[in-house]
Amino acid sequence: MSRTIHVLPDAVANQIAAGEVVERPASVVKELVENALDASARRVEVVLEGGGKRAIRVADDGWGMGREDALLSLDRHATSKIRKAEDLRGVATFGFRGEALPSIASVSRMKLETRARGEEVGTGIRVEGGRIADVGDVARTRGTTVEVGRLFFNAPARAKFLRSPAVETRAVSDAMTGLALANPGVAFLVRSDDRVLLDLPEAADLPERVAQLWGEEAAAELVPVHGEEGELRLRGLVQRPDRARPGFRRAHLFMAGRPFREPALLQAADRGYRTTVPSQARPWIFLELEAAAGSVDVNVHPTKAEVRFGNRASVESLVESAVRRALEGEESAATFDRELPRPRLRVREGGDGQNGGVSGGESESQMALFLAGDEATEGDEGRAGEDEPLVQGTLEAPRLWQVHRSYIMAEVRDGLLVIDQHAAHERILFEEIMEAYDGGGGVSQRLLFPLTLRLSPAECAQVEALSGVLQGAGFEVEGFGGDTVILRAVPHPHPYFDAERSFREMMDELTHGSELVRSARNQHERVAMSFACKSAIKAGQPLSDEEVQELFDRLFATELPYHDVHGRPTVVRLSSGELERKFGR
Amino acid sequence: MNFTITRKNLHQGLAAVSASIPTKTTLPVLSNILLEATDGQVRISGTDLDVGVRTRTPAEVGQEGVLTAPGKKLQEIARELPDEPVQVTSQGDQIELRCGRSRFKLNGLPADDFPNLPEVSFEEGWNAPGQVLLSLVQHTAFAVSTEESRPILNGVLWELKDGQMRMVATNGHRLAKMTVPAGSSAQGGAELIVPPAALQQVQRLFEKENEVHVGRDANHLGFRSGNTEVYTRLIEGTYPNYEQVIPKDNDKWAVVDRESFASAVRRMAVVASDQTHRIRIGFHQGAMRLTVLTPDLGEGEDEIEIQYEGEPLEIGFNAAYLLEVLRYMDTEEVKMGFKAPERAATIEPVRPDGEEGGVEYLCLVMPLRLLD
Ligand SMILES: Nc1ncnc2c1ncn2[C@@H]1O[C@H](COP(=O)(O)OP(=O)(O)O)[C@@H](O)[C@H]1O
Ligand SMILES: [Mg+2]
Repeated sequence: MSRTIHVLPDAVANQIAAGEVVERPASVVKELVENALDASARRVEVVLEGGGKRAIRVADDGWGMGREDALLSLDRHATSKIRKAEDLRGVATFGFRGEALPSIASVSRMKLETRARGEEVGTGIRVEGGRIADVGDVARTRGTTVEVGRLFFNAPARAKFLRSPAVETRAVSDAMTGLALANPGVAFLVRSDDRVLLDLPEAADLPERVAQLWGEEAAAELVPVHGEEGELRLRGLVQRPDRARPGFRRAHLFMAGRPFREPALLQAADRGYRTTVPSQARPWIFLELEAAAGSVDVNVHPTKAEVRFGNRASVESLVESAVRRALEGEESAATFDRELPRPRLRVREGGDGQNGGVSGGESESQMALFLAGDEATEGDEGRAGEDEPLVQGTLEAPRLWQVHRSYIMAEVRDGLLVIDQHAAHERILFEEIMEAYDGGGGVSQRLLFPLTLRLSPAECAQVEALSGVLQGAGFEVEGFGGDTVILRAVPHPHPYFDAERSFREMMDELTHGSELVRSARNQHERVAMSFACKSAIKAGQPLSDEEVQELFDRLFATELPYHDVHGRPTVVRLSSGELERKFGR
Repeated sequence: MNFTITRKNLHQGLAAVSASIPTKTTLPVLSNILLEATDGQVRISGTDLDVGVRTRTPAEVGQEGVLTAPGKKLQEIARELPDEPVQVTSQGDQIELRCGRSRFKLNGLPADDFPNLPEVSFEEGWNAPGQVLLSLVQHTAFAVSTEESRPILNGVLWELKDGQMRMVATNGHRLAKMTVPAGSSAQGGAELIVPPAALQQVQRLFEKENEVHVGRDANHLGFRSGNTEVYTRLIEGTYPNYEQVIPKDNDKWAVVDRESFASAVRRMAVVASDQTHRIRIGFHQGAMRLTVLTPDLGEGEDEIEIQYEGEPLEIGFNAAYLLEVLRYMDTEEVKMGFKAPERAATIEPVRPDGEEGGVEYLCLVMPLRLLD
């Protein structure tokens, strides 16, 4: 009887593990950079040669390793990050399996150079396909450099699957973008041959990091998100609805300084955008979750791109509601400003600020909508006539002015709002009617002279199918045989309301569909959207001062005053800052 | 053209006309008034194309002629002039005013550009005492519709038939109707739909004490009283059959003190939604209970004593509609009639027997749906 079960030599076991951990240069870079971040590096440099196929070098200024540790680090399951099984729950650092270094070393020619604080001299180790070839002294600054040469030189089958240098470089750059967003406080440099792909100095917070990556303008169109539910905390940035476009989007989720993928959370964020963006728009989303130890399992897969939550539904609802709340504020409104300040994230109290990723700037209170008289004088430097306040007097409510019978201008504390009267009224009616459905139905005014309307057979069928929902919206309608219906009572959303026209247009839209009503979740929402759109005060309608005031007040009593139901803005802001820039103050 | 006129006559004439001038217009000549000097008098006219006003005032005419001049400016000048005769002269399209040591020159426009006011013959018209006409207008015109979709309802229906004169206005949610004896001067029948803007001018310009002459042609109407005339186009179309919607079978009646009812409604309205003004009224034996519940705002409750017999009734109303109607009821008590919560309610003044003088006034208010 010969023995058929063998204990694999380490080198073979490492190569098998490498199959899981190391797929391509990007995964090598990710593992090495995560190790650097775990070592509290303030600056990480990544250099690729030949798309990483020829060489990958990751250098950090972290705490480094002593010689013994350095040698140990190349052993399987050697890790400084975990000691016993219980530690697996609530692990805050990136690596903890002790697999990455030996795995990478087993399929490459690796050079590790490191020096720990307090050590006189650093350690250099050369590894060839997993076998330590050389150990010696090196002179170097504190930190660690790992150079991975000829990835898969001894695994030709794997090497075959590598793509062109350009494609591999792109994958590295994507991975680094995620890590850089998750760790704004760390400086990153990524070079590919002689090209600098990313050069990111240490940033104060996520907004600054976004600005470094995609420019100030992109950062300025993001709105801060904050949320908390039980042991979960959420912070991040989402794109202003008026800037969201269809097609490509940037969406990044992080947790404990590590990027992860979870399509369900992005979908939850998208639900938070409902009715504020057109149905195909794909807003940018950057969210960081923080969870109490134990409520998440971060060790799902060696590449650690996924996170398993104890209670996924509550995470999703937190994401949805926090995004929704972010869209309630003035920052989410469209703007005329060419230059906007970066959004500010509130500081997390007691945060460690280390690998915490989204570290906060100064805490910032919500911009006030209304002029508060006593604050009017602050920040007035550089203006002529300091002692006479300019337009900002001791107003309590903003001055309102209808222009072109279509827009309402409002003076607010930080500038001007231009409100589209139709879009604003759409938002108002939509929310009011949805609320009315919950409360048993909207207001319905009985008519002295009922309206008899002829509709197409398809429309008549819709009227019949929807009669209950229409009644909830205030339309008491009954068939009169054939293609005729009678409206006996109608809603009365404003004095210029044309019930017949609105009803006809609604039935046309509800029968034949439109982009708007297709985005609705149910019949009530369909009817409410169509009603809002067809019944709102039209552009071109002159309004009295009282009506303008009422429209303004009711708009700001809605949940999402800055967005209509089509995904267009109701309000466009012009800040005092922009005015000052324009006039060269 | 030149004439001399007292400052007072000039100012009064201009004040009468300038209120008919549109404040904003795309047709510049409409912001002007037309001055026509003829034998011993000056005619001053202004129009916004829908409604025109013309007034005559005595003047010493040196040379006859016509001219247009900016109406509001002329009026402001006339108001500020010293109380001395004003000498008005035309120089081309310019007008010159001299009064004491003041002198003004204003640019006008060629008189040919000024639209003609409709030529309405007063010969075949009828007369109405100012007081009667003004009362009809006051009690009904408020109820016209402002919606553009049914232009007919934007006007006040004026009916003459069977020796009665009647005005009706409605926006489809509430209706006001007043009928008075027509008197001998108004024979024959007429059914006119009059824009309320013209009736406002009538209210503004005409005195209760004076007789008003009314003349018409196919699509215009003219009012004349004293030296002043108001012209308007008529709204074309057929007025809806209002008789049909006036309930004949209301069987629940309440008699309510108008003042305390109105103030209770006003109190409720504070807490009603700005948009719908919805309040709820419960009629019970001897008492009316008003309630309001507006989500996000709050609630209110009130009770007043009334005379009411019959089944208790709960009905919803637009408070603004009730208040409007109550404002024009000029009696201490009003009578309200109902059939059911989804049917029209009637409101009419309660006059002691024999004091009606043949005057009938009735308002309808359609309810709002109540939620349970
Ligand atoms: N850049 C680095 N700086 C300091 N220590 C490092 C670095 N890279 C690796 N190490 C050490 O080597 C150990 C093994 O690394 P690795 O194989 O990636 O496993 P893990 O990260 O899962 O612990 C780590 O636990 C850490 O102690
Ligand atoms: Mg690691």
